[in-house]
Amino acid sequence: MEIIKYTEEHKKFREALRNFLEKEVTPHVDEWEEAGIVPRSIWKKMGEQGFLCMNLPNEYGGADADFLCSVILTEELAKTHHTGLAAPLHSDIVVPYISSFGSEELKKRYLPGCISGDIVTALAMTEPNAGSDLASMGTTAVEEGNNVVINGQKTFISNGILCDLLVLAARDPSEENPYQALDLYLVEADTPGFEKAKRLSKMGWRSQDTAELYFSDCKVPKENRLGMKGGGFLMLMQNLQQERLMCAIAAVAAAECIMDRTITYCKEETEFGKPLSKSQENQFKIVEMTTEVKLGRTFLDKLIVEHMEGKNIVVEVSMAKYWTTEMAMRVADGCLALHGGYGSLEENPIARAWRDARVMSIFAGTNEIMKGIAAKFMGL
Amino acid sequence: MEINQMDFSLTTEQRDIQKAAEEFAKGEFDPDAALEYDEKQEFPSSIWKKACELGFVGIHFPEEYGGPGFGILENALITEAFCRQDSGIGMALALSDCGSEMILRHGDENQKREVLSYIAQGEGLITMAVLEEGYSLAPLSTTAKINKEGYIIEGEKTFVTLGRLATYMIVVCQTKSDDPHAQSVILLEAKADNVEAVSMGKRMGMRMVPMDRVSFNHIRAPKENKIGLEHKGYWQLREILNELRIDAGAMGVGIAQGGLDRALGYAKKREQFGKTIVNFDAIRNKLADMYMDVELARLVIYKAAWTFDKGRPDYRCSLMAKSVASRTAYKVTYDALQIHGGLGYMTEGHIEHFFRDAKALDLFLEPGNIQRRQLAEEITGKRI
Repeated sequence: MEIIKYTEEHKKFREALRNFLEKEVTPHVDEWEEAGIVPRSIWKKMGEQGFLCMNLPNEYGGADADFLCSVILTEELAKTHHTGLAAPLHSDIVVPYISSFGSEELKKRYLPGCISGDIVTALAMTEPNAGSDLASMGTTAVEEGNNVVINGQKTFISNGILCDLLVLAARDPSEENPYQALDLYLVEADTPGFEKAKRLSKMGWRSQDTAELYFSDCKVPKENRLGMKGGGFLMLMQNLQQERLMCAIAAVAAAECIMDRTITYCKEETEFGKPLSKSQENQFKIVEMTTEVKLGRTFLDKLIVEHMEGKNIVVEVSMAKYWTTEMAMRVADGCLALHGGYGSLEENPIARAWRDARVMSIFAGTNEIMKGIAAKFMGL
Repeated sequence: MEINQMDFSLTTEQRDIQKAAEEFAKGEFDPDAALEYDEKQEFPSSIWKKACELGFVGIHFPEEYGGPGFGILENALITEAFCRQDSGIGMALALSDCGSEMILRHGDENQKREVLSYIAQGEGLITMAVLEEGYSLAPLSTTAKINKEGYIIEGEKTFVTLGRLATYMIVVCQTKSDDPHAQSVILLEAKADNVEAVSMGKRMGMRMVPMDRVSFNHIRAPKENKIGLEHKGYWQLREILNELRIDAGAMGVGIAQGGLDRALGYAKKREQFGKTIVNFDAIRNKLADMYMDVELARLVIYKAAWTFDKGRPDYRCSLMAKSVASRTAYKVTYDALQIHGGLGYMTEGHIEHFFRDAKALDLFLEPGNIQRRQLAEEITGKRI
């Protein structure tokens, strides 16, 4: 029984997307990895094909697509052997803040560009001293006439260099309750006082432009606030279910892709004169890992269905984010080991996949935070 | 009085060596330079030179061959201290004399005098060309034809450490086609003998130790370049690999300890939710697990090295050494990276390269499962 019912249209969409990615993305990824960033042109091309923010309504230029299209996109991107083109981050994590909480005016101003690829977005929450602990955020937003003046620093921001529009979390210093002090603001990249500082070098996700951002007396119109004043924390909490589900989708997709490639490798390559796949040791290892991948897939697909039904599954999604990201790393690690010394060579896709997999247990809330959330909502 | 009973303490001399190595590493291994060597895949030549000047390389060579005549335990202590300070520089220095043990244990007087003191003084590097496509060690596809003048070597080796940089290259060659174990070990002067070495490209870890594919096209070597006995190279190599596994184990312990040091330091100063994170069970208990793992691995390595130096090499313990230590290094640095959070994944966090190097160590020389297979053969008494 299939848990998710993909329609013919979904299947056609997957095929078209796969063809596009094979032609426009995969051949360039080595170059992008070297450059530490993807070119703006690929975002435009994605937009032209209708592959960005597909779920948004027609009135803004979107396709009104269901969440399964986002799932398909994330899965197909996992096969492109790089992580730099962070379209799921843009379409399913950042832009939903605008579409869910932005005023009609903000939506009209920004959503069409988000869909066409003219506007690349980023989400700025993390700070050097506020990682897991969002309430300790130091970036401040102070009202001054019709503006809000922003001061502070953000770090590890994905799409940080490319972004044209930022969803920024900042604190009102006059509000004492830290949970009511947070607000989200839309900040355009060319706003005076907003500086994109250095692009950070990382273990993996090399083609993803992760950056430090600085704000000094950066003036943003008050209307650029999302939702009611003081509602930032609640908005973050509301959207995190989808954000973490996206991580689990990416993790399972990455694990499946690594597993498929490794099985092919083990059938083709020989060690001590016989195919790697013919030793019992390797067979059992492959079976064990594939079992984990399939368990992850089953759990994930159930959660995708429930998420689409609008259920509150914050406990299960926290569990899934923690378990699938660690599973993906276990699989990447076991598969790297099956490649032996050759796996250590960067010319072999497994080396990059292994480096890329390691971050997933850290970003979008560390796995320790996931366990904490699950424990809390389980009433422990 | 020499202690031969069970005693886990180091001698005063050993502690002094350990301390000297730690101080040298702290003083000379610049953390930012380390990131640069890693990024550029460059062997840290200037640090290696200094390490040689101060006698840290070849500490297990006897005095007549340029060393102070200590054992491999002392060598392991240095390797551990170096890798603890920086995984990449540590491994590069530890492998700068890789293969010299073949000469130390099997070479003749001339070879020892010529090569060992040259290596200990830091005049050049040495390497050993062993692995080939497909990992088979018996038979090898690289052959040495024997004639009156000496040998003619044909073939190709992979994963040769420092292949393009080394002055001396020790090559293990097949000498008979009808006996897979008939091999000889031959010493070449890599550059002078026109050995062709090509980089195997960028790697995910251990980047300061360039790995090369080396081809031998009709390379001639005189008879006196044979190290040890004719046709007995396979057995010599098995013995030397055992010794190398102990040093590789010391690398793993050092990397793991370095990961633990960094995680502990970070956890004690990082504040979240109003307290330093070392106060959370999830962090402090993880640190306790890491400490346990490091100590367990260290005991195995020290035992392997100590018994070796006492003339009672424990083959099983050596087999375990690299396997246990590289697994430990992986586990501990995985957690160390996790404790660092987002910073851990960034190059500037100075922990992700420990993690990459730990994994590369596991894949280096022979993947961990090969030692497991050999240990299985040992304890079951059955070969497959």
